[in-house]
Order: sequence, then structure tokens, then C-alpha cells
Amino acid sequence: MIIDPTQRKWALGSLAFFAISTLAYVLYAVSASSGPRGGSFVGLIFGSVGFAFMWFAALLGARKRVPTWRLGRAQAWMRGHLWLGLLSLPLILFHGGFHFGGTLTRVLMWLLIITVASGLFGAALQNYVPRMMTTDVPLETIYDEIGNVRKSLREEADRAMESICGPMGLSVDTAEEPLRAGGFSALRPIAASSAPLRTSAAVSAGASAAVAVAAERIFLNAEESAPLERFYISEMRAYLEDPKRRGQRLGDANKARCAFAGLQTLLPAAAQATLKDLEEICDESRQFVRQERLHHWLHGWLLVHIPLSLALMILGAVHAVMALRY
Amino acid sequence: MARTRTTKVLAQRIDLNYFKRPTPYKRAKLALSVLVPLLALGWIGWRGFSRDSRVYSSGRMSEAHAVLEKQCAVCHLKKERAFSSKAVDSACLGCHDGPVHHENQIKAEVPECADCHVEHRGRVNIRAASNESCTECHGNLKAGDGAVHYATNIRSLGDGHPEFAALRQGAKDPGTILLNHATHLKPIRRGPNGPIVQLECGDCHRTAATNAPWTYGDAQFATATVSYKDEKEFLPVRAQGLPRRRGLDGREYMAPVKFGTACAGCHSLAFDKRIDEQVPHDKPEIVHAFVVKKLQEYIATHPSEVRVLRDPSRDLTGKPLRPKVRVLTASQSVAERTDDAEKLLWRKTCKQCHVLENSTGSALPRIAAGRITQRWLPHAKFDHDAHRGFSCVSCHVKAVSSKESSDVLIPGIANCQACHAPGPAHAESRCFECHTYHDWSKRKEVRPTYVMPGLQTGGK
Amino acid sequence: MGGNANSLVELSIDGKAVQVPAGTTVYDAARLNGIAIPTLCHLQNQTPVGVCRLCVVDTGARVLSASCVRPVEPGMKVVTNSEKVLAARKTLLELLMADHPASCTRQNRSGDCELETLAKSAGIGASRFTRRTVSRGEDDSSLAIAVDHDACILCDRCIRGCDEVKNNFVLGRMGKGYAAGIAFDLNAPMGDSTCISCGECMVSCPTGALTNKVVVGTEIAAGSDSQTFSVEQLHKLPVFAGVSGTFLELNRGAIVQRRFRKGEAICREGEFGSTAFYIVEGKAQVAISTPIAHVKTQGGGQGFFKKLSSILVGREEDKREEEARDRSIPIDASVDLSYGNPVAELGPGDLFGEMTCMNFYPRSATVRAESDVVAFEMLRNVLDIMMKNKTFRAQLDNNYRRRALENHLRGVPMFAQLSPDFIERLKQSVELVRYGPGQMIARQGEAAGSFYLVRIGFVKISEEYPGGELVLAYLSRGDYFGEIGLLGGGVRTATCTALDHVEVVRIPGEDFREMMERFPGVRSGLEAVAAERRAANAQRLQMVQSVPIDQFLSQGLMEAQSLLILDLQKCTRCDACVNACADAHDGVTRLVREGLRFENFLVATSCRQCRDPLCMVGCPVGSIRRRNSLEVIIEDWCIGCGLCARNCPYGNINLHPFEVMAEDPEHAGWQKAVVQQKATSCDLCTHLKEPSCVYACPHDAAHRVDPRKFFAGIVGRGSIS
Repeated sequence: MIIDPTQRKWALGSLAFFAISTLAYVLYAVSASSGPRGGSFVGLIFGSVGFAFMWFAALLGARKRVPTWRLGRAQAWMRGHLWLGLLSLPLILFHGGFHFGGTLTRVLMWLLIITVASGLFGAALQNYVPRMMTTDVPLETIYDEIGNVRKSLREEADRAMESICGPMGLSVDTAEEPLRAGGFSALRPIAASSAPLRTSAAVSAGASAAVAVAAERIFLNAEESAPLERFYISEMRAYLEDPKRRGQRLGDANKARCAFAGLQTLLPAAAQATLKDLEEICDESRQFVRQERLHHWLHGWLLVHIPLSLALMILGAVHAVMALRY
Repeated sequence: MARTRTTKVLAQRIDLNYFKRPTPYKRAKLALSVLVPLLALGWIGWRGFSRDSRVYSSGRMSEAHAVLEKQCAVCHLKKERAFSSKAVDSACLGCHDGPVHHENQIKAEVPECADCHVEHRGRVNIRAASNESCTECHGNLKAGDGAVHYATNIRSLGDGHPEFAALRQGAKDPGTILLNHATHLKPIRRGPNGPIVQLECGDCHRTAATNAPWTYGDAQFATATVSYKDEKEFLPVRAQGLPRRRGLDGREYMAPVKFGTACAGCHSLAFDKRIDEQVPHDKPEIVHAFVVKKLQEYIATHPSEVRVLRDPSRDLTGKPLRPKVRVLTASQSVAERTDDAEKLLWRKTCKQCHVLENSTGSALPRIAAGRITQRWLPHAKFDHDAHRGFSCVSCHVKAVSSKESSDVLIPGIANCQACHAPGPAHAESRCFECHTYHDWSKRKEVRPTYVMPGLQTGGK
Repeated sequence: MGGNANSLVELSIDGKAVQVPAGTTVYDAARLNGIAIPTLCHLQNQTPVGVCRLCVVDTGARVLSASCVRPVEPGMKVVTNSEKVLAARKTLLELLMADHPASCTRQNRSGDCELETLAKSAGIGASRFTRRTVSRGEDDSSLAIAVDHDACILCDRCIRGCDEVKNNFVLGRMGKGYAAGIAFDLNAPMGDSTCISCGECMVSCPTGALTNKVVVGTEIAAGSDSQTFSVEQLHKLPVFAGVSGTFLELNRGAIVQRRFRKGEAICREGEFGSTAFYIVEGKAQVAISTPIAHVKTQGGGQGFFKKLSSILVGREEDKREEEARDRSIPIDASVDLSYGNPVAELGPGDLFGEMTCMNFYPRSATVRAESDVVAFEMLRNVLDIMMKNKTFRAQLDNNYRRRALENHLRGVPMFAQLSPDFIERLKQSVELVRYGPGQMIARQGEAAGSFYLVRIGFVKISEEYPGGELVLAYLSRGDYFGEIGLLGGGVRTATCTALDHVEVVRIPGEDFREMMERFPGVRSGLEAVAAERRAANAQRLQMVQSVPIDQFLSQGLMEAQSLLILDLQKCTRCDACVNACADAHDGVTRLVREGLRFENFLVATSCRQCRDPLCMVGCPVGSIRRRNSLEVIIEDWCIGCGLCARNCPYGNINLHPFEVMAEDPEHAGWQKAVVQQKATSCDLCTHLKEPSCVYACPHDAAHRVDPRKFFAGIVGRGSIS
């Protein structure tokens, strides 16, 4: 969630709420005969409002499980999560009168502090990382699919190589294809049948993807293709297989550019287009590494935030019951 | 064959069901989301199972109650169909008797024990009630007629507490014993022919429990039995304040200064230079009898002394001279000498410190009652022993310069506030430090309820 | 040419004395005496015309003469292979080759292009002459014969074949100079001409100018129950009378007779095919067996939780206004199926599978033999020949008119009130008209003449606006058009173009007007539809502003009416949108969070509601269509052929296997779970009021926007810089 002027209403509202509750707390703390306590009437109000805010914040997770239920826009929930969740910390501090209390309450307090802190950290990241991702990873794809996309890039590179160097015996993975998007499965039965695709002019003009035109093949001779083949087999393919391994020349944008520029001078004109494709493929693969890293930053904090908040909710409920009982 | 990036080509790389497929990240998230709450639940469950309810405690219990930490229900008695958020009085009264504050306190205003004695604040002194619990009622010192006599809006020692009554404007020491502290604290000759000495406060002011030998005392006087009663000389102690819960051990307060132990060393009560003995420190009647008796004995043993030679050094000009030699009868001699001795005593020796009433007539004078104040702070308690590390004059500054015995020499409240202030850098400053709530004189005995094993599962 | 026909003439050819009857041409004389003279324009069975001059010989005259037309003269000394003759021939060949495609279709296919063979034997390599720069074009309109005008050497062999041999008089010459070429009728596309596809021209042609179209594997895979025909057998069939034997020979195996036992499936819906069937005997049942389900989100359902969630979701019934009335599903046969009970019957004389055969669309329905059935299965070129046959066509027309007007026209509730006598009258006056791909049926601004009902193929209705064309609709079988022009000012408001092989039923203007007068109910109904269409069109046109900018255009964003965009600076890649989409659509996502970027927005892969919805073209059952408002929706009788997904240029339509209950073929009356593919595409969550993806985005990143409005600022800026 980006913090922008559209959040002003929430921000001002929360600020006002915070100010009012601080005022209330100060008045209460000064007047209370035995100091601010969670068990007093005001303390209980702080506690229950704070806990209610926490619950609301935690319910975002549940809300996300039923995205289509018309319970208010997810955006509003997110804003509520952010601001009310943030407010819950001072409220709970007021509730405890800035005392951490016994074991359970101490644990709760730390859980809350860590949860809120991780949330703030996450919110900060969400302000910053998406911009970074947008500028640094123009060829971004879906994180979950990076593995598959990498595989397809490798296959594409293999095909590109074989299109100019002739069959190189690069292994073709014949594993079961998943259900692909983009009308992919619609293409398969057609590709299987030998029917030439001749629907209408309009369609073939628009749906270019449907018509696969076999490109004219010009193979390089062994001498010409040797440097490219060597480079591809020993370096590029290894890189495409595992782009995250350290110390690879292609892992560095500048070094990679140099490597390809060097090859460019060694190869005949017929191979230049393919070389350019290979460079693009490398580039894409490299960007995915960056994307993964950024994605981990962008989502990693949730590994702390979510489990701890769940623990917080459970222990908070226990605390509420036990505290009201005793 | 340049690579083309079209939406369709891009989309075709994507598994349509990718979002249903677990990734390591999603797995980790799920595992943690299950594991951590389970862990929390397990922990709390284990605690519950092992019947250790300390975890729910909102804080550690006070020293006195630490043994109850695991047993919430001892204090938090279950009320019928209700939660009990604080310990009920009946639970407290099981062990403690909390005598009432005032006899005439309005019942509805009597707070519950837990209102003032807040538990779960760590290993603190449970008796330490907050200022607010006192100032709630005593913040405004109004009399029954509604008029404010001393102060309003008292919040704490540092905030709104009035000056001690003894030090208020115009307040005087009611004592009748004359003493110039300033003189005594300068180098002073010990007795008529004694050496010059420097007195210490402790030479005269000591607590009852002090057992060091007195520097300036005289055993004869110290051990002598006297006919006057201390009670008559001292103002009563417990005039207004409530008694402490536990008795005094004699080190808290300075005992009243007594002649035998503090004064006799210097202030000789000799009455006749021919007789070594001093008069007892007692009522004039006793002194008179003693003087007469001693002189009669003296005449009996020294019959020649009935002949009286005129002492030229006492031949004051302007006065008719006495005959050079006079011979008196024994009784005459006793009477004359007694008269001389008593003139010395009543006019000088006793009068140096005591107020003598009816001293001009021929009848024996009467020594005014001492009216010595034993407790200057009648509503509060003070412990000199606790302050023993400080030199006396560092608080009783006025003692060094006080020339009048009517000066009240206890330090002002500001002196207390210098150390007794809120915050960790200061000594305790809450009301309870000096004031007592419960009237322990009305204490009732409590029947023991608990048996040892029942509480043995207490704190480790 | 005097002389007795019986008298002999003596002459010498290449020094050899020969004797031939008077009137014989030099070429024939040489041929009779075993001397070969190369020719191009000459054919044995045709009147010689001597246009190619390749057969020149030296007769000792001032100039060389064409041997094919030069009659022998007594004492003539003919030299056929002197230096001079060979040089002349070589130059001629070189000139011809300069204008010939590098290797023409015929050469490619069978290596028997006569021109190229001759040129090769004369050792002609690259021509010294400049090539023609303007192409004379191709004519792809005939289903059986391909015309490549560029390969034509104007030998006239085809013209003579058509006129002299077959007496069809379709072919002739047109144009002058470089533009000269052969023409069908008055230069009509071959497919639309009166040509009956006998194939004579094609077998006459020496080059690749006229070639037999190779249709999907020229042979139908023969099964045990199929029977192929010899040319003789075919000729015996009335529909093939008069067709060139060579042509039939070439297309041997393109027609078979098949027998189907009762209950056997003749074809199945969704399959791709290339053949049509003509029932000779027996009855067949045509039905859509794909369960009608799942494209619409189910929702609702049983169980407390589901009901509760339905209430919470605020799900409205996914009402598609048109469903309320008894809608019929157009299929590839002479009958339509009703939505409620998609079953119909076909009998002898019925032709089905034309769309598949002509336009390569997937089969729209499953046909099963109801009794034992004998049918011809044929490929497109054969079908074309049959369709060109007058008797066959008359029968077909008759069949169709009856059905089209009864089921099809009256099936539309609006026309239901037409009286039987009027229908009878219409039967006489309506006309079946065929159009080839790209052919215009009516042009915007023309005077409106007729009302049309689409029988086969897709008609594009478009309107012009400054700088482009806006596609208003793609009409398929069962749709009608032309009413706006007739009801309005008598001027066509839109251009109607055939997208593929289209056949329409034309109802003449007079009949239409009469219908309007006689049946005011029909009139008011049509007027309402016309007004609705006009309003929708006007609205669409209004949205069109020309704001061209490279990337905006190249990504096709201009074409879109509604884009799902994700603000990448806000998006945390949490996939909430995808999950919401799946949640709203029975666990299947209709959006993929991948695609191209525009500025800092990701244009997600989700239906864009294109102005020109290419996806609609070719749907064999008309289940993908535009709603009256805006969005493109897929109706749930989709048969899962995948054509729309293939056609969508943006990959926004996906095929999903759904498990549905269908009738168990082995146990009548039993239901059985089967996996059925269905096409899915974004429906803008119409049942939920707002797209779920947008609703569920916690970061305010996802939006459904009109690209023109939304990007107006950006595009404006871009055009300045």
C-alpha cells in the first residue's frame, strides 16, 4: 500500500484518534488512584478498543480468503489494517500503562511490538520496492512462474542456437505441460492437426500467434559457429540453468554486454540476429534473478508479520479471557 | 527472427493454475502461520496443564505474596456469575487484618484493600500505596465546617504538602527548659574549673536504645531516683497520629535529654563549698531537705564551724558590715547556711535552666513543668536510625545558631524533600513513608486458614 | 491457304524432305516427322493462336515465323534449330522468364511448369531484364482453383479450353499492356463468377497461373466403410457431369461415400475438419452434446455456507437479457438448434458441415446416424464443384429457402407473426447470394436495397471514422442486417463485408417493405432493434478519438474499450486480483498477471473488450458475442473448440477443462462426470457489479479503465514529445 495523499483522510482520522486517546490516557493516568492499570475501567476500554483494532487488522487475512464477498473494498480494508493496526500499539501501551506486566502480557507486548514494527517495515517496503521493481525489472514476470519461464527461455535459446548451428542434440524436455494461459491449449490440437490455418484475412492479420511460419534456415558452417557453440554450451547454457550461481560472467550486466560484443565481432552477419536474441534471453534471465531478490524483500517480512500476528491474536484472546476472569 | 514480446506470447509462458501451486515461500508462510500459533497455543496450554497460572499474571507479585503467584484463585475468589478483576477484601482478610482508619469513617468511602494495595507490580512493597489513594480523601485538608485550614490540592510530598505544623509561622517550642544551643555547640568550659570541650549533638541527644557511655553524664544523677514524673515533664506522644503496625525498637526517636546523662557532667549542683556533695536533681522540697540534712551533718561533725569569720572579699561597699566574727548556734548556722545555699540554687543553679515559679517569697519555689516535646510530627513517623548516616546539623541546621529554647529546631519539609522525591534517584516520597493508614491499635487477631502444603507449590 | 485438302505438299525440314497434306502447319509437319519444336501457347486440341512465338522456325522468309500457325508451302525450306532460331527462342524465353515468379506454384508442386522447363533446357539462368514491379495479383476466391496472374504468360490456353473445349465461355482477356491478363466473366473474382470449376482451364495452363488448390490432404482418409470413386463413377453422378476428367483425377479421393450404422457419430462438435457431408439416404440427428454449463459462473448452489456466501457476495443472477427469449443456436447445417433442446434432424438431400469445409471452422455440433446413413463426404474443392452444379444448387437452394425462412426467420420471435402465405411468397423472391472473403456486401452511404439474413460465414459490420474503421459487430449465421438502412433514410449506415466465405439470404427491398406494411408488429420490433443498434453504434463511435502514439497503438491499446491495468508502483505482486478472479469464477482465473507494460502500468492479460473483437470470428455456434452494452461474453453452450482463444491476439481467452455431468453413452439415462473444455474470458464480473480483481486489490493498483480516457494525459504528453 502506497502512502499517498489519498490516505490523508485515514491519516488525519488516526491522528485525531491518537490525540484523543492520548489525552484521555494522560487525564486518566494522572487521576487514577493507583496509577494506570489494565484492569481499571478506562484501562479495559483502551484494552478492548486496541484488541478490537488488532482483530480488525487480523481479519484482513480472513478477508483475503473470500475476496468476492462484498464486505467493503479490499483497499478500504487494507487502509483500515494499516492505520488501525498502527493505532492498536499506543492503545495497548495505554492499556498496560506502559507496563509490560507478567509473562503472558510481556510476551503479548513484544509480539505486538514486533508485529507492528514488521508491518511498518513492510509498508515502507511496499512504498519503495514496487518502484524499484518497475524500473529495475522491465521484463518482470510472475514470481511463481519464474522457474517455468526460465525453462522456456532455455528452450528458446536452444532453438535459437539450433536454428543457426544445426541440430546440437540439446535435450528437449518432454515433461507434461501444465495448463497454460493465453489460449495456449487452444493451439495444441490445431498444431497437432495438419490443417493450414486459413480463416479470414482479418484473423490471420490479428492473431499472428496462431500462424507459425517456418523460418528459412541458414546454417553456419562448423568453423563459423564454433565460437558461438563453445560460448553457448560452456557458459550461457550453464547460466540459464542456474543463473543464481555466483561468479558467472553473464550474471553481471556489464560483463555480459562485453561478452556478447566480443562474440559479435567473431560471428558472420547471418548469426547476428540470433546473437541478439541470445543476449536478450540472458538479459531476461538476469532480470529474473533481480526480481526474485526484490520479491523476497517485498514479501519476506510477511513471514514474520503473519505468524506472529496469529500468535498474538490467540494469546491475546487467552489474555482477555483470563484477565476478565481474574 | 527477432524475438517479439506480445501479450499472448507472454501469457503463454504462464501456467494457468500457478496461483494454486505451492511455492517454497507460500509453504513457509503456511507452515509458519500454523506452527507459530500452535507453538503459542502449546505453550499456554502446557502452562495451563501444569496448573501454573503465573503466565496469566499481569505482573509479578509483591514480596509478601510471591508465594501465591501460581494460585490466582486464592485472591481472585470466584464470584457468582461474575468475573472478579481484583482480589476481594475477604481474600485479603483471610490472612490480614486491616483495621479501620477512622472510627467515624463513612462506610461507603472505605476503599477496598486492592484499591490501595495494588498487586502484580513486581517485587515491590505491597504496603506502598500510591499517593493518589491517600490524596483522594486527604487532598484537601478541610475541616468539618468546610473551611480550609492548612492546604488544598495536596498531591504528594513535593506537590502541595504543607509545612510541618511545628514550623508554621509563630510556632514555638513549648518547652520550659532553657537552653542555648548555639553556646553549647561552641567550645565551652567543662564545669566551673573544667577544661574547654566541644560538645557533639550526640553527647546529649540519643535514642533510647543507644547504650554508649555518656560523655557528660554523672552516674550519681543518672541512677538517682527522683520524685518527679517524666510524664509530667514531657508532652504526650501519641496525641493525634495513628500507631505503627509494629512497635518501636527505641532507635527511631531521640529520647528526651536528661540531666543526669547529659547535663550533670558540666552543670554542677554543688550548694556549699564545704560540702562536696551536690544536691539531687529533684523538686525544691527534696533539695531543701537534702541541703538542711547535709548542713546539719556538717555542723555536727565540725562544731567549730559555728564561729563565722567575715570574709573580706565579700565585703561589698555601701552595705553595713557584718561583725568580724560571729558565733552562731548550730541550728542558726544551719539555717543561715541553708539560706545561703538555696539562694544560690534558686537564684542561679536551678534557674539557669529551669523556670522557677514563686522564687521571690520565702516559700520554696516551684519548678515549672518541662513540657518537652517528644514527637514534633504527630501525624507522621520518623526514624532517626534510618537517617543515622547524616550528621545531625546537616538537617537540624538551626541548632548551631539557635539561642532561644523556644526555637523549633526540627528541619523544614524542604529538607525532607531534598531526598524524598519521586524517581529512582531519590528516596521514597509517597505518603505511606511517613503516614499510617490503618489504626493498628484496633487490630484484631486472624485465625490461620492455610496449611503449609497447600501453598508449597508457590513461586520458585 | 489455298490448295486441296487432300493434296500433299513437299518441303524440307532441317534438310529432311517431308510430305504432308496441304494446310498442315509447319509445327504439325515437323511433329509428324519426329522433329520436336518447343511450344508454350500451343495445345494439340485447341485452335492455334501463335501468341508466344516460341515455336519460331526459319522458313527462309524475311522474318522467322511461328510454326504453329504457319501452314506448309511447297518447297519450303524449314530450319528449326539454326543459330538464329535458337537465339530468338532464347531471347523470348528470357523475356518471358523475366516476368515469371522465380519458381511458380506448378513448378514447386510437380516440377512441370512448361516455361521453366524450357528455360532450364535453354540454359537460362538469371534474367538480364528488369522484373515487373507491379504485381498483377492473385485470385484466391475459387475453392478449387488458384489463380496467380503473375505466373500467367497470356498464352490463352485456358481461354480456349473454357470456350472451345467446354463451351463455358467464362474466361476471356482483360486489360492492356502490363496489366493485361485473363479474366472470369466481367473480371469477377473466380469464385463469384459463373465458373463451374470444371477444371479445364487449370489442366490447360502451362505455368502456375491456374493450379489445382491443394486442400487439406487431398484425400479423405479412407475407412473400412468408405468407398472411393473412379472418375468414371463420378461422371455418372449427375452433379459431376461436365467436370474435367483431369480435374477429377487430381481430386481423386476428395470425395468418398460412407456408410454409417445406426447410432454411429458422423462428426463431433469441436473437432477441426475439412469436409462436408451430403446425406444420400437415411436420417441423422444433429445435437450439441456439450453440457451447457460453466462459462457462466455457477455460484448460488446448495448448502448453508454457499447460500450464506452468496448473500455476502451480493451475487446477482447472471442474467443475460437475451437468454430470456427462446434463443436458437446457429449451427453448421440447414437447421438451427433451440437453446432449450438442442437437437434436430437431417434427412436425404441435406448438406451439413459446409462452414467447416469452406472456412475451416471447427464442427459446431455432433451428428449421429439415426438410421443407417449413406452420405458423401467431400473436401472443399469437391463441395465447390457440387455447389456450382446447377441442379444440385437448385435443390439445395430450395431446401434452404424452406428451412431458412421457416425455422430461421420465423424462429426469431420478431418474425414469428409472418403469415404462411407471405412466407410462401418470400420463398419465390429471396435469393441465396455468396460472397468471398473481403468482398463488400453493402457499403456505407450506398442506397439501401435489400435485407439480409446470414446463412454461412461471418459478416463484419463496420463504420468509418476519421483515421480508421470501427467494427460494430460480427454477424454470424442466423443474424440479420440491412434493416437500419431500409427503415431509415434508405442509405446504408455501415459497411458490411464478408470475412470469409459468406452466404446470405437476400430479401429484396420491395418484399421487405411489404412485410413492414403488412406486419406492423414486425416493423415495430425491427425498428426497436434498429434504434438500439444505432444508439450503441453512435456511442461506440463517440468513444473513438484519434490519439495515435506508437506504443499505445502497437500494443493494441487503442483497440480496447476496457483494460485491466495494474499500477506497478503500487502493486505488491500479491496476486490478490488473480485469487479474487478465481474465486469469482469457480476456481478458474480469467486474468493472468502478466503482459506488456505501458508506462508504469501493467496491462494484465484479461479481456479488453476490443472494438474489433476478432475472437468472435469463426465461433461455430455463435456462443461468443458482444452484449448490447459493451462486453464480450461467452455463452455457456460453448463447445470448447478453442477458435476464439486462438484468434484472440492478446491471449485473453483460455480454455479450461471443467468436470461436468453428461449423459453416459453406455447407460442410457445415467449421468457421468466428463471433462469438457470450455472457453473462458473476463466477464467483468457482471454478476457482482464490479470486477472482482479491482474490488479485491488491497493496494489500489488494479483498475478497469477506458484506455483512451485513462491514458489521455500520457498519450497527449507523448505526442508532443
